[in-house]
Amino acid sequence: MNSAYKWIGSVGVLVLAIAWVSVLAEFQRSIYSTSTTVGIFALLALPLGLLYGQGGTVSLAQGAFAAIGAYTTAIISTRFNLSPMLSLLPAVVLPALIAFVIAKPILRLPELSLALVTLSIGTVVEVALQRGGDFTGSFNGINGIPTLPFVGNSRIRAHFVIWTVVVVLVIAYVNYMSSLRGRALNAVRTDHLLAEAMGVNVALDLSLLFAITAGVAGLGGWFYAHTLGYVAPDSLSIAVSANVLFMVVVGGRKSVLGPIIGALIFTVASDFLPGTESQGIFFGGILILVLLFSPDGLMTLVPRRWRQRVAASPKPLAVTQAVQTTGAAR
Amino acid sequence: MSFDARNISIAFGGLKVLKDVSVSVRSGVITGLVGPNGAGKTTLFNCLTGVAHPQEGTVRIDNADISSFPLHQRIQLGVSRTFQTPRLDLDASVLDAVMMGFYSRNKPSLLGGFVASRGRQAREKALREQAERLIAQFELTSDPYQRSSALSLGRLRLLEVARALASAPKFLLLDEPAAGIDEHDRALLGRAIRLAAADRIGVLLVEHNVGFVAELSHHMVALVRGQIVAEGNPQSVVQDEQVMTAYLGGHRVAA
Repeated sequence: MNSAYKWIGSVGVLVLAIAWVSVLAEFQRSIYSTSTTVGIFALLALPLGLLYGQGGTVSLAQGAFAAIGAYTTAIISTRFNLSPMLSLLPAVVLPALIAFVIAKPILRLPELSLALVTLSIGTVVEVALQRGGDFTGSFNGINGIPTLPFVGNSRIRAHFVIWTVVVVLVIAYVNYMSSLRGRALNAVRTDHLLAEAMGVNVALDLSLLFAITAGVAGLGGWFYAHTLGYVAPDSLSIAVSANVLFMVVVGGRKSVLGPIIGALIFTVASDFLPGTESQGIFFGGILILVLLFSPDGLMTLVPRRWRQRVAASPKPLAVTQAVQTTGAAR
Repeated sequence: MSFDARNISIAFGGLKVLKDVSVSVRSGVITGLVGPNGAGKTTLFNCLTGVAHPQEGTVRIDNADISSFPLHQRIQLGVSRTFQTPRLDLDASVLDAVMMGFYSRNKPSLLGGFVASRGRQAREKALREQAERLIAQFELTSDPYQRSSALSLGRLRLLEVARALASAPKFLLLDEPAAGIDEHDRALLGRAIRLAAADRIGVLLVEHNVGFVAELSHHMVALVRGQIVAEGNPQSVVQDEQVMTAYLGGHRVAA
């Protein structure tokens, strides 16, 4: 029988992993902060996985949109003393709006040009934040950002809150990909003309998705600002944008859990490797190996039977069993 | 209902590809458009679907001018098309490819996309069953979950026609659907086209193969070097002197 909720597999794996990490963290408290960092990166990487992995549209501006979200909430909550909950909306909407406005002219560019253009958005944002004077705190950034009312200084709560958000996003992602809109997004990845011929308004749909991607990054930035208590121009820099793309590609751009695995590998490796040189060698090496031997990311190494076919219609169990028992003709 | 191209002229650079061409697709009628290579058939097809924009002339649906509409908007108005070279994601399953055809009439809202309500699941289940019926009708494959890349070129063309019919179109525009497909598949295709016309769908059949078109169509148009040289019932068009000359390569051999 067909499962009514297609996200149960992915969410089940994710929830088990979170539970396991939470138990480990009771013995080693620092795991909570590592896990929160992974969660924030996952928030940046997951929507990029949808845009790039499913829609074939790359973006190297996730760090920049997260920075816009982080600075928006930092400025509102420190300069105007408003509650972080009031600045949540602007921190999400502002990057989404900026993304939507710039999307239409740039999203029709080929992949490499699009990567360069989105990368330069990051440069513009970074320079603007550095030269923003007292408004953005220049090179020093902004200190003393209040904590979230429902998190406070608790690392444990931060861990659970961020991962709850990630789980909700995973459900939304899987729902989207199993809808006709998900199929349309895959058609856009295959061929823009094909998608248009199916009645897909490619320019509008990609713009909306690009805006959502940026808005979720803004949400990540908002959470980042309120858990760390400060933001600086280099805290969510161009390097972060590149790292987020690295997470998506290494983890698996076509799978929902891929970007989260990528975020985990990246964060844990950065914690264990001391200098930036050794990190560079490690990440560069991993990227080359993955692209050579498993171009669609590490998630494709998971046996096909376990993997959820997010984009496609899942096989009804009867068919799967029939194929398995007959030994599969292909 | 009718879908018309009126007095279309288009030039690419200095090359005039279509000169004052009018063609009309009417509900329930199969219109065949034939012509030798380079006659401008595909360009006319692209003008109708909004992939190319003519410098002169208009495209209308029931007299409403849709000349400025992009392709996706024309699809939403009930126009459906196939491609000369099948366009599909070969890694996706046959079922997914046919399901894609339902998009224009059944797409959820952007927010609805993120929520899998029971209603949406029921609708998707109904669409999946409908897609499976289309797959069976066109004898595409016995396993709808098979990857499209496993299908022969002929089956891929039929798959495109099945996908085009999935959108419940008012007008079905087929660009060389019979090129490179075998007798059996051609018969399936012919039957499907007749069924579509019986369902009050207006069909435009663009083909290189005159025999196939003459057999199927009610009305036939012959395009040679960007101009219509003959139109009317298939018999008269096939026997038209200019059409024969064009197909036999320029000079008439004494018959």
